Amino acid sequence: MVEIAARLLCAPASPPVASVTRFSPGHAAEDSRLVREARGGDASAFERLYERYARVIHGVVLARVGRVDVDDLVQDVFLAAWARLATLRDPQAFGGWLTSIARRRAIDHHRRAVETTELPADLEAPDAAAPRAEAIAVIEVVRSLPDAYRETLVLRLVEGMTGQEIADRTGMTPASVRVNLHRGMRLLRDRLQR
Amino acid sequence: MSEGQMDDERYLWDRSGEPDAEIVRLEALLSPLRHRGQPLGVRPRPPVRRWVRMLVPALAVAAMMFLVASAAWFSWTARRDGWDVQRVGGAPVVSGVRVAGNRGRDGARLAVGGWLVTDGASRARIEVGEIGEVEVDPNTRLQLVTSSGREHRMALARGTIHATIWAPPKFFFVDTPSAVAVDLGCAYTLQVADDGSGMVRVTHGWVGFQSGAREVFIPEGAVCSTRRGNGPGTPRYEDAPAGYAGALAVLDFSDAGDARRASALDVVLSRARPRDALTLWHLLRRGSLDERRLVYERMAVLAPPPDGVTREAVLAGDRAALDRWWDALGLESTTWWRLWKRDWEK
Repeated sequence: MVEIAARLLCAPASPPVASVTRFSPGHAAEDSRLVREARGGDASAFERLYERYARVIHGVVLARVGRVDVDDLVQDVFLAAWARLATLRDPQAFGGWLTSIARRRAIDHHRRAVETTELPADLEAPDAAAPRAEAIAVIEVVRSLPDAYRETLVLRLVEGMTGQEIADRTGMTPASVRVNLHRGMRLLRDRLQR
Repeated sequence: MSEGQMDDERYLWDRSGEPDAEIVRLEALLSPLRHRGQPLGVRPRPPVRRWVRMLVPALAVAAMMFLVASAAWFSWTARRDGWDVQRVGGAPVVSGVRVAGNRGRDGARLAVGGWLVTDGASRARIEVGEIGEVEVDPNTRLQLVTSSGREHRMALARGTIHATIWAPPKFFFVDTPSAVAVDLGCAYTLQVADDGSGMVRVTHGWVGFQSGAREVFIPEGAVCSTRRGNGPGTPRYEDAPAGYAGALAVLDFSDAGDARRASALDVVLSRARPRDALTLWHLLRRGSLDERRLVYERMAVLAPPPDGVTREAVLAGDRAALDRWWDALGLESTTWWRLWKRDWEK
């Protein structure tokens, strides 16, 4: 354990670890059951899936898109998933499938969107100006990190998910999440100190 | 790796171990941006199943192919200008030429504008494009007016025809000197006398009879007269009570001041059966207000008007009210009727 951690922490400028779809059996089984029920027309089952994945999709989108558009895109992702649910071959892979839809939607949003600049938070709420402005600045730095790092960091630091939860819901292995968290965090510290 | 580093890793992984001050600060700073737990904005509707999604375009393609095929078929029939005529008996004449054979072998072609004439001993059969047949009785004179994919029309100047049409409604029309007979997918016999008066007798389906503002709906088993200058009269069932034919002739074709009208109306109303609501409904739109009041009272007993259809509206000739009452008779919907009624007259 010590050796692994040391290797992770000492690995300089390594590329992010690619995600590998591997869901924990219990979590995937529950997803599978809910997907089957939703396919049968049970909207409440799909709402349960939404509850399980809303934070993840919010994080995946927030890692790529300005916060003002995030909520709309999250809704958009789930509605698209509902419409295409019949095309999902393996119901156990719902999490990975859903996050891939979210990534594509975020990329499409960038393609279509007119270039805008996010307003400084102090224009909206003077009382809470300082922390909101800093938060947006930090998120901008996170978005400048490589894909795998920024997504994992947003899920951990913004959405408050644990490494295991991130692994369960995105389909990445726990080891991949662990590596991305550490490498991403180190890069983030470096860039925030500049 | 130091203990501190191990704690940092644990904290970053699952918040166990000693908190990392920088990570804690970032968590606090960024937490306002997290998902606020709002519910799914739109409750999704049940997804359309894959086979349904495939079925819809398939049906659309099939419908389009059907329309194209139908158009081609009608165009083809339209190009075949005129109707085939076969001799059934005697020596019918087509455009001045005697028809020698039958069964299509030596038949004749009746062109648009051409006349078919049978004498007292002749009979003929006409193939009306691909939509039906017309048997022509002796002493008949008729002209082909139009033969196209969308309309086949003849003028019956005199005599008797028996039409059997299997095309959709409103494809076959017969002009008579006093009214236009509109086929609505049916079989019927139409007679025209030398004075231009006529009679239609429906053996299957429905026929519309129309002249100017006068329109009548004639179902299977009913007959209706027409007179030059008056247009169609009132339809009645062939098994109508005794005296109906004469009484209706008075009501349909006499002047408003004719002294016979009161007794004629009394015959019609007093002898009416529930089935004769067909006749009474048509009389609601004819005659004087006093006559229509009497008709209303009798019909309301035989076939009570549906809710919302008032006496005042009916007597005022309100079309919607009359249509609703007609629909309540259980014959055919007036909507259906009027759908096919357009462009009866050219």
